[in-house]
Amino acid sequence: MDKTTIICRCEEISCEEVEEVISNGGRTFDDVKRITRCGMGPCQAKICTSMVAEIIHQQTGLSPSEIPLPRMRMPLSPIKLETLGTNSTSFSAVKSVLDEVEIEEGKVR
Amino acid sequence: METNYETIVIGGGVVGSGIAYHLSERYKEGVLVLDKKYPMSGTSGSTQAWVWVHNKTPSWYAEFSMYSAELYPYLSKKIGDVEYKRTGGLSPFFNESDREKAQKLAESYRKIGIKIKVLSREEVLEKEPYMNPEVAGATYSSIDGNVNPFRLIDMYMRAAKRNGVRYSAYNKVTEIKKQDGTYLVVSDKGAFKCKNLILAGGTWSREIGDMLGVKIPVNQLRGQILVSEPLKPFLNFTISGLRQANNGEVLMGYSMEEAGFNRATTLDVIQETANMAVRYVPGLRKAKIVRAFSGIRAMPEDGFPILGKVPGHESLYVAATHSGVTLSPLIGTLITELITEGETSIPIERYSLSRFG
Amino acid sequence: MKTDVLIIGGGPAGLSAAIETASRGLDVTIVDEASKLGGQLNQQTQEMRPLPSVYEPMRGFELANKLIEQIKDFNVRPLLKHRVVGFYADGSAGITDEENVFPIKAKKIIVASGAAEKAVAFPKWTMPGIMTIGAAQILINRDFVLPGREAVIVGSSDFAMETAMQLMAVGTRVKAIIEKQSEASAKEQEKVSELLRNGIPFYFNSFIKEARGNGQVEQIDIEMPDEVITLNVDLICMDGGRMPILDVFYQLGCSFGFQEELGGWVPQYSNTFQTDREDVFIAGNAAGISTQGALLLTGMIAGISVSEELQTISPAEANEMREALWKELGLLEYKEVYSGRVKHLENFTSPVLKDQFIS
Repeated sequence: MDKTTIICRCEEISCEEVEEVISNGGRTFDDVKRITRCGMGPCQAKICTSMVAEIIHQQTGLSPSEIPLPRMRMPLSPIKLETLGTNSTSFSAVKSVLDEVEIEEGKVR
Repeated sequence: METNYETIVIGGGVVGSGIAYHLSERYKEGVLVLDKKYPMSGTSGSTQAWVWVHNKTPSWYAEFSMYSAELYPYLSKKIGDVEYKRTGGLSPFFNESDREKAQKLAESYRKIGIKIKVLSREEVLEKEPYMNPEVAGATYSSIDGNVNPFRLIDMYMRAAKRNGVRYSAYNKVTEIKKQDGTYLVVSDKGAFKCKNLILAGGTWSREIGDMLGVKIPVNQLRGQILVSEPLKPFLNFTISGLRQANNGEVLMGYSMEEAGFNRATTLDVIQETANMAVRYVPGLRKAKIVRAFSGIRAMPEDGFPILGKVPGHESLYVAATHSGVTLSPLIGTLITELITEGETSIPIERYSLSRFG
Repeated sequence: MKTDVLIIGGGPAGLSAAIETASRGLDVTIVDEASKLGGQLNQQTQEMRPLPSVYEPMRGFELANKLIEQIKDFNVRPLLKHRVVGFYADGSAGITDEENVFPIKAKKIIVASGAAEKAVAFPKWTMPGIMTIGAAQILINRDFVLPGREAVIVGSSDFAMETAMQLMAVGTRVKAIIEKQSEASAKEQEKVSELLRNGIPFYFNSFIKEARGNGQVEQIDIEMPDEVITLNVDLICMDGGRMPILDVFYQLGCSFGFQEELGGWVPQYSNTFQTDREDVFIAGNAAGISTQGALLLTGMIAGISVSEELQTISPAEANEMREALWKELGLLEYKEVYSGRVKHLENFTSPVLKDQFIS
C-alpha cells in the first residue's frame, strides 16, 4: 500500500504513521490508536479497523486471528449529553474532588 | 538481544517510562524497560491526565504534587511537546455550606506555601463564563493543569530510546530470582540480568512484588470517562471533573468503583457522569459524546505513593502510585537520584514501602 | 420497559426471529434505527433466491413487506428510529429515541445487528464520489439519487455484480470491473457473463493506483499486470467485503472466534444460535456473512431456541424444527460459508477472543 494512503479518515492518519508504531514494537490496533489517534474520531474505528489489521498482518506476519479487535465502547454511536443525561443531581459513583477533602476536628486531615 | 543490563524497569507506563527517561539522562549504563503489552495498555492510556495539586490532602502530599507540577515546563523543553497546559484548576461547589470546608483547605495549604483562593460565585463566573450560574463558589489554584498522556509517554519513550534505553514490549515477566547480587528477570522472550531492579507495575504491582516475596499493597479503583466530539476552545481551566484537550475534545468524569481489573463501562455511571458534566457546564448539553472509556487507578492501600528502596532488598526499588501523570517528573527525578547518588533531594521516607509493616 | 424478547435489528433475520417468538405468545420488542423495518431488504430490487421453502422467490423489498405483514398479527412492539446506546450494570439495554435514554429489561435478547462493509484503500480514496457498493445501492433504491454517471467497480463478488447491473439500469456508464485476483469472486458466473455481454471489461490482477480530482473524483489510474491505464470517472464503488457488526456483542461480554469464510471475527454461538452469554442469542449476518435465504433461517432458529428457553415450546419440538432448519441451511448457503459455520460451532468452547474488558 502506498505510504501516503489515508487509513483513518476521521483523524487523517496515513499508512506510514500506522507502520511506524508497528516498527517501534506496537502490535495491536489499540497500540496504533494511542500513539497516532487512529480510531479516535467520530466513527470510533468502524472504518479503519480492517485496514489497520491488514497493515499489522503485512508488517508482522501475525495472522488475522492473532490481531485482536480494537476495544469497542459505549455509546455505540455518538449521542448528545442532554439525551444521555437524566437531569438527576444525586450521584453515587461520581464524585467531586472537594468531596474527598475530609475535615477532622476543624482541620483538614 | 542483549541480556545483561545495569538497570531493568518493569512497566513502561507513565511511571516506568518517566523513570527510564530521567535515568537515561544522567546514567550511561544499560537500561531495559519490560512491558507485558505495549506502554499505555494500562492506566496510563486511560486517564484524564490532570496535573493536579490542589485538593490533595494532607498538605505534605499537596506539596509533593506541587514540586512535580513545577517540573513539567522544563520536561516539555527536554522531551518535546506533550501538550502540557498550566491552565489553573477550579474545584466548584454548589452549596454555600461547602465554603467552610474550602476555606479550611485554603488555610492548611497556606501553611506550606501553596496559594489557593476560595472564590465567590461571581469570581468563578468571571474566570469560567461557561460554568453553571448556580455554582456557589470554588477553590482555585494557578498551579494545576493537564497534559496529553499519549504524547507524554510517546515522548518519554522516544527520548529514552535516543539515550540508549531498550524497550521490550509484549514481554511479560514471569519470574524474578536473586542470584549473587544480581537479579534474574525471567520473561516470555527470555531471561535478563540486572544489578538494579525497579518495579513500576502499576495496577499489577502486587503480582510483581509476589515474585520476590515482597508485599506491595496496591488496589484497583475504576474510573469512567466520557469524551466529547472536538468543540471550539471554551473552557479556560481544568475543572475537577472536566477538562478540554488541545484538539477541542472535552473529557468528563470523576468516578470511583471497586471493579477489580474490569475495564468495562456501565450506562449507569455514564449517565451520572453526563449529569455531572451538564450540571457544571450547562452549555455542554448539545455536545455529543463519542466514547466512554474506563481506566483502573493503581491505588496504594492508604492512598499515598509507594516510592523508594524496597526494605530488606539490595538495589530493589518500587514506584507505585495513583496520580502517576501528576507525579511522574518528580518520581523519575527522585528514583534517578536514589540510584545514582544513593539519596534523594527531598525526603521520601514517608512514602516508603516499610510503612505497611 | 420490560419485554420477553428484545430483538436488536429489524432486518430479515430479526423479523424472522420476531415471527418465531411472537407467534408463540411471547411479548417481543424490536429496536431498529431506521424508519422502516426490513433492513437491507428495503433497498434490494434484485430477486432473492434461493429462499427457505416457506417463501417464493421474490424481490428484496417484497420480502421485507411480506415479513412485516406477518408480524402485524402478533404482539410485536417495533421501536423504529431507536438505537442501542449501551448496557446497564444489571444487563438492561439502554435505548434512545434521540430524546432520552431508557432501559429495556428483556428475558432474552436476540442480536441481529447485521453486516458492515469494508473499504478498499488507495491514494485519495477519501474523496467524494468514492463509496462502497452498498452505499451506491442505498442511494439508488432508497433515496432515488444517481450516485454518478461514469463508474468503475472495485471487486467482483455477487453483490458487486448486482450493484453494477443496478447502476447500468439507472443509466450510469460502468466502465470497468477492477479485480485484484485472477478471476471474479462471484459465485454465480451468470452475473459475470451478463456484464460481459453488456460490454463491461473485467481487469484482473489489477487495482487502483491512484484517484485524482478537484473536490471529487475525476480520474483514476488502474495498475494492471502489463500497463497502467487512466479512466475518467466520477464514481468508484468499492467492494472490500463485509464483516459482522460486533459492537453489541462486545459490550455484552460475548466471546469471539475467527472464521475467514464467515467474514472474520464472529461471536461464538452453538447450534441453537445462543452465544456464550446465556440470555444472548444471535441471528443474521452478525452470525456469519451469508445470503438472504440463510439469514432468514438463522433468524428462525434463534427464535425457536428462545421460545424453547422461555418454555413456549418443548425441547423435543424445538429440536425437531431446528434439525430441519439446519438441514435447509446446509442446502441454501454457499458450501464454503456453511462449512465455515460448522467449524465455528466446533470451536465454541475455545474462543479466540474473550474477557475483552479484563485488564
